[in-house]
Amino acid sequence: MRLLIFPVSVLAIYGILFAISPDNIYMALRNSSNIFLTIIVPLCLVFILMLALNLFLKPAQIIRFLGKGAGIKGVILSATAGIISTGPIYAWYPLLRDLREKGAGNSFMAVFLGNRAVKPFLLPVMISYFGWVYVIILTAFTIIASIVAGYAVGVLVKERSSPLSYHSMP
Amino acid sequence: MKIAISAESADFEAEVARRFGTSKYLVIVDLDSGDSEAVPNPGASAQRGAGMQAVVLAISKDVKAVLTGYCSPAINNHLTENGIEVVSGLSGTVGEVVERYKKGDFRKHKEVELEYRPRWSKIDKAMLSHAIRSSARQFATMLPILVGVVLLMGLFNAFVPRDILASIFSGNPALDTCWGACFGSIIAGNPINSYIIGRELLTSGVSLFAVTAFIIAWVNVGLVQLPAEIAALGKKFALVRNAVSFVLSMVMAAVIVVIFNFVMG
Repeated sequence: MRLLIFPVSVLAIYGILFAISPDNIYMALRNSSNIFLTIIVPLCLVFILMLALNLFLKPAQIIRFLGKGAGIKGVILSATAGIISTGPIYAWYPLLRDLREKGAGNSFMAVFLGNRAVKPFLLPVMISYFGWVYVIILTAFTIIASIVAGYAVGVLVKERSSPLSYHSMP
Repeated sequence: MKIAISAESADFEAEVARRFGTSKYLVIVDLDSGDSEAVPNPGASAQRGAGMQAVVLAISKDVKAVLTGYCSPAINNHLTENGIEVVSGLSGTVGEVVERYKKGDFRKHKEVELEYRPRWSKIDKAMLSHAIRSSARQFATMLPILVGVVLLMGLFNAFVPRDILASIFSGNPALDTCWGACFGSIIAGNPINSYIIGRELLTSGVSLFAVTAFIIAWVNVGLVQLPAEIAALGKKFALVRNAVSFVLSMVMAAVIVVIFNFVMG
């Protein structure tokens, strides 16, 4: 039931605003349905990836590649995954949650999310709008920033452990 | 060699927990050095996936054996597949079972457990069915939040006209960079939309600092989908990541534009 609080609240806002401006609400519903249509394919892809993850990847493998000690390997893997991922960011949350539950580190989740800004297939559009010099600098620093953000998140969002009151065993 | 004992509290006098997945702590003991630590079990309060969270914890701590009261067959499989011996059916205190393990009291038990190794060489119907159910369940818990986020985005696009953005920018680079990051943070969407809006802002005379901060924040920060990120990745992670990304969007905007201006002369 708790999961429904947020969408029901949004629908309540729709209801209130419908009384004030019904035309804009119709537009909002059209916008939302267009967004739904664009995310169906990425969501299907995410579901297939989650299925493959549950079938083939064991927690030990996830920890080895994306766990806290994965190092540069984990950075490259999560950055690459972020770059090649398609669709809006929220379509990927279920997969990221699954990976995290199976041992993937917080910093790599953050690196993945940060590198979603880098989209090779959109480069021609960017270059036509802003020029190739700007695009190269922006892309390079986006990747750097995502790694910095990943490191910061890894430091600030930590797992806690407590030492025993009894120390070394005899 | 490290072993893990499921425990009800964080000391050697604690009773061995009845169930591995939902025990409050895993007491990790290094039999070689004698060091020990008690790690809170993230699965202790979880309703679903508790066992898997405890498995992940055990693997991350590099333990070679788990000693517990009871371990379900599925979790037993996960542990043994990852080379972790499972000794179950235990009672008493943590200190007592550690001493018994060191003496080799569980050696026969170990042989029995090690014989049980399920074959995962091919995918069978049961595995596929379990994987589908598991994936569908994870999706189902996220779906209501995703629906809410999309509806909210539709509302924002309908009620906030784009030309309002251009009217806010004053011409002060520092302030405009901040505004750019703020507006980009409200919704995180497809990057191409940020390029289109950014281009319009540039042609309206808004500075490149502001546009760059807007473009970076657009993808990395998102207040509208924060509920979905919190539901998926936890409140602390979502808030910290968004806050760090917001600050970085402004810093990076400044660095990028300074370098761009330097390169272009």
